[in-house]
Amino acid sequence: MAAVQTDQITLSVNGQSVTVPKGTLILDAAKKVGIDIPIFCSHPKMAPVAVCRMCLVEVEKMPKLQPACAVYVAEGMVVKTVTEQVNKYQKGVLEFLLINHPLDCPICDKGGECPLQDQTFQYGPGASRYEFQKAHFDKAVPLSDKIVLDRERCILCWRCTRFSEEISGERELALIQRGVHTIIGTFNDEPAQSNYQGNWTEICPVGALTARQYRFISRPWDLDRTASVCPGCSMGCNIQIDARNNRIGRFQSRENLAVDDSWLCDFGRYSFPNFQRKGQERPRVRRNGSLQEVSYEEAIAFAVDALKRADRQVAGWASPADSNEELFLFRRLFREVLQSPHLDHRSTVVADAEPDDTTLPIADIERCDHVVVLGGQEVIDAAPVLHLRLLKSQRKGVNVLRVGTGELKRALDGVPAEAEAVGILATEASKKAATDLQLRLGKKIKGSVRRLLVTTGPNGRGAKDLGILPHLGPGYASLNGQSGKGRVEWPGAGLKALYVHESSPLHGFTPTDAESMWLPALPLLIVHRFTASPLDDLAHVILPGHAFTEKDGSVTSMEGRVQRIRKGIDAEWVREDWRVLQDIANRLGASWAYDSASAVTADLVASLPPYAAALNTAGRVLWSEAT
Amino acid sequence: MGIKPVLTRDFATENLEQLAVYERTGGYSGFKKALEMQPDALVDLVKASGLRGRGGAGFPTGNKWSFLPKGVYPRYLVCNADESEPGCFKDRYLIEESPHQVLEGILIASYAIGCNLAFIYIRGEYLPQTEALERAIEEARQAGYLGRNVLGKGYDIDVILHRGAGAYICGEETAMLTSLEGYRGEPRLKPPFPAVKGLYGKPTVVNNVETVCNLPHIVLNGAEWFKAMGTPTGAGTRLWCMSGHINRPGNYEMENGTPIRELIEEHGGGVWKNRKLKAFQPGGASMMVLLPEHLDVGLDFDAIAKAGSLAGAGAMVVMDETTCMVDAARRYVKFFEHESCGKCTPCREGTYWMANIFDRFEGGDAKPGDIDLLLDIGYNIDGRSFCPLGDASTWFPRSVIKFFRDEFQEHISQKGCPFKKALQEAVA
Repeated sequence: MAAVQTDQITLSVNGQSVTVPKGTLILDAAKKVGIDIPIFCSHPKMAPVAVCRMCLVEVEKMPKLQPACAVYVAEGMVVKTVTEQVNKYQKGVLEFLLINHPLDCPICDKGGECPLQDQTFQYGPGASRYEFQKAHFDKAVPLSDKIVLDRERCILCWRCTRFSEEISGERELALIQRGVHTIIGTFNDEPAQSNYQGNWTEICPVGALTARQYRFISRPWDLDRTASVCPGCSMGCNIQIDARNNRIGRFQSRENLAVDDSWLCDFGRYSFPNFQRKGQERPRVRRNGSLQEVSYEEAIAFAVDALKRADRQVAGWASPADSNEELFLFRRLFREVLQSPHLDHRSTVVADAEPDDTTLPIADIERCDHVVVLGGQEVIDAAPVLHLRLLKSQRKGVNVLRVGTGELKRALDGVPAEAEAVGILATEASKKAATDLQLRLGKKIKGSVRRLLVTTGPNGRGAKDLGILPHLGPGYASLNGQSGKGRVEWPGAGLKALYVHESSPLHGFTPTDAESMWLPALPLLIVHRFTASPLDDLAHVILPGHAFTEKDGSVTSMEGRVQRIRKGIDAEWVREDWRVLQDIANRLGASWAYDSASAVTADLVASLPPYAAALNTAGRVLWSEAT
Repeated sequence: MGIKPVLTRDFATENLEQLAVYERTGGYSGFKKALEMQPDALVDLVKASGLRGRGGAGFPTGNKWSFLPKGVYPRYLVCNADESEPGCFKDRYLIEESPHQVLEGILIASYAIGCNLAFIYIRGEYLPQTEALERAIEEARQAGYLGRNVLGKGYDIDVILHRGAGAYICGEETAMLTSLEGYRGEPRLKPPFPAVKGLYGKPTVVNNVETVCNLPHIVLNGAEWFKAMGTPTGAGTRLWCMSGHINRPGNYEMENGTPIRELIEEHGGGVWKNRKLKAFQPGGASMMVLLPEHLDVGLDFDAIAKAGSLAGAGAMVVMDETTCMVDAARRYVKFFEHESCGKCTPCREGTYWMANIFDRFEGGDAKPGDIDLLLDIGYNIDGRSFCPLGDASTWFPRSVIKFFRDEFQEHISQKGCPFKKALQEAVA
């Protein structure tokens, strides 16, 4: 009698039959049939600890209640999540959790989005029988310059300590003391250094860990929530812009397993004050040496006249934080209308861009057997959330080799010939070394070698794809000898005008020494930007534009994933950047007729087929698939 | 039945803690004999002897050994000498009097399970006992019982002695392993059980001091000899730590199954000051209280369990008629509140709450509902906690409420402790 080998297990939860893979927790099996088991300590990204005891359920043939978050399913298991015993116990554990909880919900940032509050409403007792003084602990303990800990609210679920241990590998948070005196803290009360602390506040199931920037800023129900993408770097982490009264209160993560795995870094998360608008601003033009406020119409007319005088000797710099739509129009304005090839989005010289057929998707890092991080910490600094993905991969058994950009031999020696899937991570500044290593590893090993280059800015990859380069057109098309000059060559190139467009102070045009000498002598400097820029003092025309967080559009992450950004904040008095670009183009003789950002998107997609598929599916741009 | 010195047979011998003296009493001949046997045969022998773990749970030792997954090495033996149960002092006695017997037992167990590195996790407060073991380990090493190629038999074994830092929870086997690894002493999730993934993630057996002390005798005298002592499901003897209101407190090695009455009345000399026995607790702080009517219950895991308590680690705490049972429960609950590691909610918060309520009884502020509240809190802790510490914190107080509910009611109606008042009046 041959037993049927199966990795599927069938069990019953509240009388419903459910079939799940072997190794599934009762909690997840129940979830599959829509049965919600309350939890505090359990977290899908972390190993079960079963400390809060909220999820205890009845399992037939087991004498005690079992923690659904830690017990794996077995064939024929009969689970009951709603019984008199379970319900009574759920009331009991919530009563326990609340005896020393301050119940200061009315002034707690978490109130309204608090699992403890929600589950107390759903499963808890209406009143407590506890009549003693609560155990008192320190409140508003500064864990770092970013996070404040309220030890009275803490229910010791271990999520933050486990994050610090398992997810970020930093072990900065630990449990101190024991019994009812147990607290969370850092070693010797030293400030936490982690770049991932914001995640602690998100996974905290109570209001114990709060972000300084968001403390007492808003109630959750007063927030307007907008799905967008983090402006911090080219990782493309998905965020939610939470704004109250048209001011950003916080960035929250918005899980995208393929990109961020639900985490954000503090650099990105706490970058939002850079996008807070400080009052209203009107366009300005320089007349007789001083800047004067004018209308958009006047400013545009002024700029167009000056651009005409520059007679094609115009350079254009668009920020790698601009949307694809803006970059698309910016390129058209220069190449088609102003007839100038001098386009760039880069700050320093980087290796030549080219279509990247071998891009390693972020999620595939986990599926490599060896990953070389060429540049080590330099790569992590450029895209911090990659670190968490690398650690996760290491836990899964991926060999991660961190080497300096000059240590190609070490990298080469570190990967055995029988390796089947190798990944190389590097910043785009190290592209040459990465390409070289890819080539040499490709010859050495049996399997495939793919690389992932961390581009600069949230849309550095889009800027390349769309041809904001002096030597390549959209889709890396050849310019047939019509190449212009790149940014580093501009100061000596006899140019008569520079148009700078930037939507993020994090990725603005910061003049180099050579540019600082050149710019004051330039006859025309148009600065089209979101917020005050170092260029303002030299500008002849200042055109207020929208911030990264104030516009609809799309950006392309380092792995070529095209994702939508959305208007999280209204700044209606600011004319949309794409409209300003269209107005300038039309005054210069073009006849563009876009009536919305999405109309620009449609045109962009039509002219660049790889973007069509990517945008429809939030997938990746694959140049190799384009014909 | 009755007193049966097996482990304590030679304890009257002077300087038994010295290797030469221990050897003269037959010491290490069990280990030598064991080395002539196949490890599997040893496991079978211990299985056949019916030896059950003396740490408290009474799990069959041979079975525990046979749970180790085949072919996974290294594997470790950890001897649990973290004796911290209030009322327990047998391991301390065994170590003090005959540290080599402990060591010999560890060597036999290690050989049987194929372990080359054993650990003794000893209670931090046991300093003289630590020193005794240190000396014994050094002597044994000099004599060739420890180290490489022991006694020329090709077996390597070493023993590391580790002192705990004062946490009761570290007597729980998984918390002990966590502590031994250098982390906070907190119990681990089971499964995986230590036999599969224990110390440093390797197969591990944890055996109590008294358990391993039985091994040399079983090896020398055989399973049948051992089984002939005690009861069908409780072979051998146990050391009973008698304390409380008793004329002759101390350790008594009794054949299993001997009536409790004999231990208390005969060997312990009965309740002190000619007072009457009110209650006794057969297993240490954790265990449920028993009454004079249970005196004829045998000293045996199963018999005591049947009577409604647990033999635990073999502590016999005797309470005379002047004992305030509410206060006794209060003290134990406070012990557990203090020792709760804080890992799980019911134990951390529940023991704290119970302790508060007991203080209220003591202070005379208890309310009529408090008795049932205690029972309900106990219900919400017991069986819901992460490890037995939380569960056990409720057993004594709940059993006291069961048998002495009237005392709780008197505390409420008299706004305080009637025993204390009686005492104060007597003094006045």
